[in-house]
Amino acid sequence: MPPKGSKKASAAAQTQTLVLDNGAYTLKAGLVSSASADPSYDDCTVIPNCIARSTRDKRTYVASELETCKDFGELAFRRPVERGFIVNWEAEKAIWENEFMGAGAGEGLRCDPKETNLLLTEKPNCPKELQKNCDEIVFEQFEFAAYYRCVGSTLNAYHPYGPDSLFSLPQECLLLIDTSYSDTTISPIYNGQLIQPAVRRLTVGGKLLTNYLKELSSLRHYNMMDETYLLNEAKEAVSFVAPSAQQFSRDLEWTWKGRLGDKRELDPSIVLDYVLPDYEQSIHGYARPHDPAKSRMRRGLQPVQGPKEDLLPLGNERFTVPELLFRPTDIGIQEVGLPAAIMESLSTLPEALKIGMLANVVVVGGNSLIPGFMERLESELRTLVPADYLLNIARAEDPIKHTWLGGARFASQRDRLKNVLVAKAEYDERGSGWLVRKFAGGG
Amino acid sequence: MPHVEVLPNSTSSVAPGWTYVVDTGYDPSKVAINPKNKKRVAAQPGGARGEHELSSRQQAAIARRIAELNRDNDPKQSIPVPGKTSTPKTQNARRIIQYQRQIKHWLDDEEAQLAQLQQAPQPRSATTASRIAAQPLRRSSTMISVPPTPSEATPGPAAATPISQRSHFEDDPLLSIERSMPPPLNPAELSALLTAPPLSYAASHVAPPPADGPPSRHFCDNCGYWGKIKCLKCGARVCGLECKDAHEATRCLKWA
Ligand SMILES: [Zn+2]
Ligand SMILES: [Zn+2]
Repeated sequence: MPPKGSKKASAAAQTQTLVLDNGAYTLKAGLVSSASADPSYDDCTVIPNCIARSTRDKRTYVASELETCKDFGELAFRRPVERGFIVNWEAEKAIWENEFMGAGAGEGLRCDPKETNLLLTEKPNCPKELQKNCDEIVFEQFEFAAYYRCVGSTLNAYHPYGPDSLFSLPQECLLLIDTSYSDTTISPIYNGQLIQPAVRRLTVGGKLLTNYLKELSSLRHYNMMDETYLLNEAKEAVSFVAPSAQQFSRDLEWTWKGRLGDKRELDPSIVLDYVLPDYEQSIHGYARPHDPAKSRMRRGLQPVQGPKEDLLPLGNERFTVPELLFRPTDIGIQEVGLPAAIMESLSTLPEALKIGMLANVVVVGGNSLIPGFMERLESELRTLVPADYLLNIARAEDPIKHTWLGGARFASQRDRLKNVLVAKAEYDERGSGWLVRKFAGGG
Repeated sequence: MPHVEVLPNSTSSVAPGWTYVVDTGYDPSKVAINPKNKKRVAAQPGGARGEHELSSRQQAAIARRIAELNRDNDPKQSIPVPGKTSTPKTQNARRIIQYQRQIKHWLDDEEAQLAQLQQAPQPRSATTASRIAAQPLRRSSTMISVPPTPSEATPGPAAATPISQRSHFEDDPLLSIERSMPPPLNPAELSALLTAPPLSYAASHVAPPPADGPPSRHFCDNCGYWGKIKCLKCGARVCGLECKDAHEATRCLKWA
């Protein structure tokens, strides 16, 4: 049960709520009114949560301004969220002001905090000091009328099971896997409430995968250490998860160049050339089938013909990079892979809860979109789950916006929201130490 | 799958400072060097470095590399906030907005505070402090997954150990039918789970793979294929001579 609200909170509750899923990579945001019909994904705006600076055009882009950027070469990023938690409030404040309060704020997002509730998500296991900083900024700097901060995963319990479902919300048992930019978390949720001691996280997230691909490409081809944007784009375009450890081995064989004197043909169904943008004719790169002749030209073994272009050949990188989600030890991270991590989380629960959780596993976060990810997760998990248990696992329809939509559904139900909101007046009276305890479930 | 094949023992292959590695399925840091090659290592000039030293250096190198891959912001780079932003409205806000600390500092603080709580004498009543103080044991010290202790406030049923229960069922096929009908949720146990405080950030990480699990895989540091040869200077693996040369020219000792 969510913490009980006070009379003051209900008195001050506004009809409009800014629902903000404050991710390290992107903000998912939208204004929700308690009078509005069931919200949808379309009500959610995805905004880069960064300030980016280009050394080439000497411009600084704040959050959504990145849309206007035409040259992502050597683009440097400042991200207020680290490991999933808001750390740098100077930058986050500038971004929030730009996106929600300034003249440039998007229609449908602009609001006056004094007349708006804020529903803000956080990652599980946030250090208390950072929670306190966050609460103080929300009330003392932004002066939101009322506010609720909670672990984003829990909001996924407010999605109806299916269109014809008769079950009431929140969902009774939900095992929420969030594999996103900062890391991958496993959250068992009972009646909308997080079972804290069972929460587990894996170090591997989208950021680490991009940085790994950046490192590999720099070692094997060009120095790309300053090309985070480009490598992230390439990763999203070409990565796939091998269906099994056996298939992984097979693919690794077939993408090996062989030995001196015993060169092998590369499997053309795996090896690609990623055509790098020149930021004159093209802003974005794209993948196409590997052309061995181009590789020889690049290495000066053959005269250069055809258009001048820079190619990044990608072979085993396509599947060894996302493999880290399943085998973190491949680069020395001393953690089990995601399927075993899920079992570790469940091992702390009584049998009946474990059964309930496995029957309703939902995956959100950008890494779940990597082709093959869901299939590998399900098949490895199936081998770990006792044979007579039901395993139901699905990726959310929109794994990026799903947590936001759960929050929006929560916020559109006046009574639910009223129960958890804390009004500014109450904060002013009782202080931030009290508020951190209250949002943690204590009085 | 682990790759246990060793390159055919050709004559030209082993250069000084390199050794073939038979993948025994153990962590290389524990089996740092194939015993067969010990003599050669000892006989080589500069090869007298202790196995232990190599492996701890190697571990530190891996930790540094992972930290690098997991970094959110480049500390060398500062991008100023452009344009006009509102001025801080309170002392608290001013202080928080001016922080230039990175996540590492906050997480170190959290661990330091928990360590302090652990050392402090246990309060008489079951307070949040004592519960939190019990947690870091879960990972930071032992690196072994220990089920979190339910709070002292809810004794009795909460202490039921699901783990022993589970192995009990698995061991006895006659009882397996009970699995489809698990014991009903014990309300006290449930309430203990739902009111337990969060783990610390460090304690929330999953456990390392069990020692008897599938062996870790090793890859060529240069091309990403299986790493069958180990560099004795830095511990990295490569797939063959071509990549050995490339490794020596680029990354050897980079992480050491
Ligand atoms: Zn190689
Ligand atoms: Zn080396």
